[in-house]
Amino acid sequence: MPTVAPKLRVKVIFFGRIRELVGRSEELEEVVEGATLADLFDRYAAKYPQLAGFRSSLVASRNQEFAAWETRVAAGDDIAFLPPVSGG
Amino acid sequence: MIHLPTDDRFELLHRPIDVESVMQHVRADQDGAIVSFDGFVRNESHGRPTLHLEYEAYESMALTKMREIGVQVHESFAIHRLAMVHRLGRLEVGDTSVFIAVSAPHRAAAFDACRFAIDTLKKTVPIWKKEFFADGAVWADGEIPPAPPVRAEPAS
Repeated sequence: MPTVAPKLRVKVIFFGRIRELVGRSEELEEVVEGATLADLFDRYAAKYPQLAGFRSSLVASRNQEFAAWETRVAAGDDIAFLPPVSGG
Repeated sequence: MIHLPTDDRFELLHRPIDVESVMQHVRADQDGAIVSFDGFVRNESHGRPTLHLEYEAYESMALTKMREIGVQVHESFAIHRLAMVHRLGRLEVGDTSVFIAVSAPHRAAAFDACRFAIDTLKKTVPIWKKEFFADGAVWADGEIPPAPPVRAEPAS
């Protein structure tokens, strides 16, 4: 019998054009243990196909720090997919 | 670990920036110069008249990144105090969106630090600008922050 990977709950937060595309500011998501930021993004890209086109211009963050796409998520993380920044 | 002077000031405001109070905040008798940067809303973008702008931020992360700029500024330049204030929400043409002031005993460090602070803010602080025109609105192109290397997982 295959083992079921435990699920982790994370908060995903959206800003700017990504927030508009997804239609909300944040939501709680469950991911399997071992999932990376890229895995989580791919799930959104499957749900919102327009997102996939933005991938190369986005930077991921984990707990208020920029994070590589290969970074694994942990329970309780705050995750965001940040569009190019335009403050100033 | 670098000690960040507690009298630096980093703020995100949903109201107009009181430029004079920011200038006073960094000014002290030990200083001989203040250099400031006042970024305000231009009346056009790529030739199209701008009606107004809207700024939003990942506020907790933006403040963290602004404080990191503060640490870098104190590491790199012989300055006294730094203040960085960014406004969020709806801004009209002519409104100040960002104001930075740097005090130092001598002017060269203050000029260099102020330039570094605004340039780094524009590249690394998660704030976004939407531009509203007569015929629609667009998110400004912006800059992609440098991608970090993969970090070792902390033991859980």
